Amino acid sequence: MNQSKLSIVDLTKRYAPGLDPAVDKLSMEVEEGHLVALLGPSGCGKTTTLRMVAGLMDPTAGSIIVDGRDITQTPVNKRGMGMVFQSYALFPHMDVAQNVAFGLQMRRVPPAEQSRRVAAALDMVKLGHLAKRKVRELSGGQQQRIALARALVVEPTLLLLDEPLSNLDAKLRETMRSEIRSIQQRTRATTLFVTHDQDEALDMADRIAVMNGGLIEQYDSPSVIYERPNTRFVADFIGQANFLTASVVADNGPTASGGATAGGASERNYTVDVDGLGRYGATGHPGFVGSTRELVVRPHRLRVSLEARGGEAGIAGTIVGVSYTGDTVGFSVRVGERTLQAQFMTSSAAVPRPGDSAYLSWNPSDAYLLPGNPEVAAA
Amino acid sequence: MTTTQTQERPGLRAGNTPGSLEKAKARRDRRTYTALLIPAILGLLVSFVLPLAYMIRMSFNHGEADGVIIEGFTLDSYIQPLSDPFYWKVTLDTFQMGVVVGVVCVALSYPITLFLARTTSKYKSALLAIAIAPLLTSAVVRTYGWMVILGSNGLVNSSLEALGLISAPLKLTNNMLGVQIGLVEISMPYAILAMISGFGRLNPQLEEAAGSLGASKFQIFTKVTLPLTLPGVLTGFLMVFVLSISTFITPTLLGGGSVQVLATEIYDQTTGLLNWPFAAALSVILLVLFGAVVAVYQRLTKKLGG
Repeated sequence: MNQSKLSIVDLTKRYAPGLDPAVDKLSMEVEEGHLVALLGPSGCGKTTTLRMVAGLMDPTAGSIIVDGRDITQTPVNKRGMGMVFQSYALFPHMDVAQNVAFGLQMRRVPPAEQSRRVAAALDMVKLGHLAKRKVRELSGGQQQRIALARALVVEPTLLLLDEPLSNLDAKLRETMRSEIRSIQQRTRATTLFVTHDQDEALDMADRIAVMNGGLIEQYDSPSVIYERPNTRFVADFIGQANFLTASVVADNGPTASGGATAGGASERNYTVDVDGLGRYGATGHPGFVGSTRELVVRPHRLRVSLEARGGEAGIAGTIVGVSYTGDTVGFSVRVGERTLQAQFMTSSAAVPRPGDSAYLSWNPSDAYLLPGNPEVAAA
Repeated sequence: MTTTQTQERPGLRAGNTPGSLEKAKARRDRRTYTALLIPAILGLLVSFVLPLAYMIRMSFNHGEADGVIIEGFTLDSYIQPLSDPFYWKVTLDTFQMGVVVGVVCVALSYPITLFLARTTSKYKSALLAIAIAPLLTSAVVRTYGWMVILGSNGLVNSSLEALGLISAPLKLTNNMLGVQIGLVEISMPYAILAMISGFGRLNPQLEEAAGSLGASKFQIFTKVTLPLTLPGVLTGFLMVFVLSISTFITPTLLGGGSVQVLATEIYDQTTGLLNWPFAAALSVILLVLFGAVVAVYQRLTKKLGG
C-alpha cells in the first residue's frame, strides 16, 4: 500500500465574501501511515477540510501537498484518494463486486487483476461471500465495510473517512471502530478521519486535531490532548473537566516526570492560589509565576475525603448530588459559588449522601494550567 | 390459583383461542378498507369500465354510411382496417410519431429535470412551477401558437429568410414534422413531471463517490447519473408516447388535414362519417398499441429495479 505524507498549508474556505471563513488558514501535517482524526462540533470546518483534501470542494486559499506535490488544482478524479462517505454512497444499480471494482475499472486495470483485487478487498472486510448481493440487501455495517473495501482496493494515496460510523448503532460502532483501525494498520494507509465523537477519536487516532470555528485548537496524540489540553475548549470538548481560576504564586522546579511542553521546555510544578480557597499544587508551562490562569482537573482525578485529614485539608464543600451508575459514582460538590464534579470507581464502602461535607484535593500533576488561553483577570 | 390465572388472562378463556382477537381486528380492518374504496370503484365503473365495454361491444357491430348501426356480432370493422394498407400505414405512422416525439421530448426535458432535481436553490419550487406552467394554457392555444411560429410567414421562416439562410420558406406546418415539433413542446411539462418523480435515487454523494474513484465528468454521467435516472426516463417516455398517440388536436391543427394518425381517423369516423363500429375498432387497435408499449415498459423497469 502506498504511504503518503499529507501537508496542508494555510488552507482557507470562505463560502461567501464577508462571511466568517469555514476553515481559517489551517495548517497541519499527517505522517505516513498515520490515522489522524479531525474532531470538533458540527460547523467547526472539519468536513469542509476533508472535502477540500478530497478535491470535492475548491479552497479559497492555501494549498494541499501530498508527497511534496501540490495537488490543490488537481481535479478529484486525478487525486487517487479513497473516500468513505457518511451515507456510504454505494451505487444502488450495481452489486457488491461491481461497486468495489468501480475504481479499478476507471483505472483500466485488466479484468483478471480486477477480479483478483476485488476478491482480496472483500476478504479483507470479511464479506467475500456477499460479492453478488445487491447493495440494498446489505445491513448498515455491511454497507460500511463495502464502502471501505471500495475505497481501499484502488490503493489510494490517502484514505478519507467522513463520519463513517455515525449511521451505525452503538454496538456496531464499537466493532467497526476496531475493525477500521486494524485494517488501517494492516494496510498502513495514511488516513484522515472526520468525527464529532471524542471516544472514536481517542480510540482510533494516532493524532487528533481538535477543531473549533475553522481553526485547529490543538493537534496532538490522544493522551496529550486529554492530559494536557491547550485551551479550555479542548479540555471541555474531550472528556469532562472542572475549571478553576488560579493565581500562580511560586515555581517549585521541574516536574518529576519531566514531561516536556510543545516548546521543548520541561513542565514546572507550581504553587497556585485557587479562588482564595487555599494554596494547592499544579503543573504548567514555564514562566507562569505571577499570572492568573485557568486550572483544569478531570473529575476522576479529584480526591474526595469525607473528613478533614491531617495537614492536607483540601477545599471544603458540600455534596449536592450523587449519581450512581454501578461501575462509577459521581458527586457534585458545591464549593462556594461553583459546583465541581468528581468521579470514582465504586467500592463496597458506603456511598455518601447529599448534604454530607466533603474535602477536595488533587495531585499537583493532575491539575493543569491551560497554556493556550490568555490570562484571566484575577478574581 | 388456577382461577386467578384465568381472570388475569382473559385472552385464554374458551372461545378466545390465541390470535383470534387479531383475526377479528383484521376482518374489521378489511371491511373498512373496502368501504373506503367503494366510491372510487363506482366512479371508475361508470366513467371507465362501462364505456370501454360499450366501445368494445360497438366494435363488433356492423356500421354503414350515414350512421346506420346494425346490431350483431361481426368482425367487419376489424377486417376492413387490417386488410387495408392505408390503415396499416396510419397505425405505423402513429407509432413512429409517438416514438419520435417521446425520444426527442425526453431528451430535451432531461437536462431541465436533472437541474430541477439537483438544485438546492431556494427558488426550486418556483422553478418547477415555471417548468410546468405551460399546462395552464390549453393544448389548442399552444398548437395555434406553433402554427403562427412555424407557418410560411412565421417567426422561424421569416428569421431564416432575413438571415439569408433560405430563399423559400421551409415547410414546417401541415405535415408530420410540424405535428412532432408541436407535440414535443406540448408534452414537455408532462415529461418533466414524470421524470422528476423517478429521479429519487439520484444522490450527489454517489456522483462525488464516482469522481473520487477516478471517474471523469463524462464517466460519472454514463456510469452513475444515467443508469440511476433511467427508470424516470422510461416513465417520462411512456407518458409522452401515450399522450402523443392519443391526442388528435395537434395532429388535426398542425397537420392541416394531411397528417393521418389513429386518433384523427377515429375522430373523423366518429363525427364525420358517423361509422361508430369502425371508430370503435380503431380505438381497440390503438388500445392494443398502448398495451404493447406498457408491457415492454413494465418488463424494462422490472429489469432495472431487480
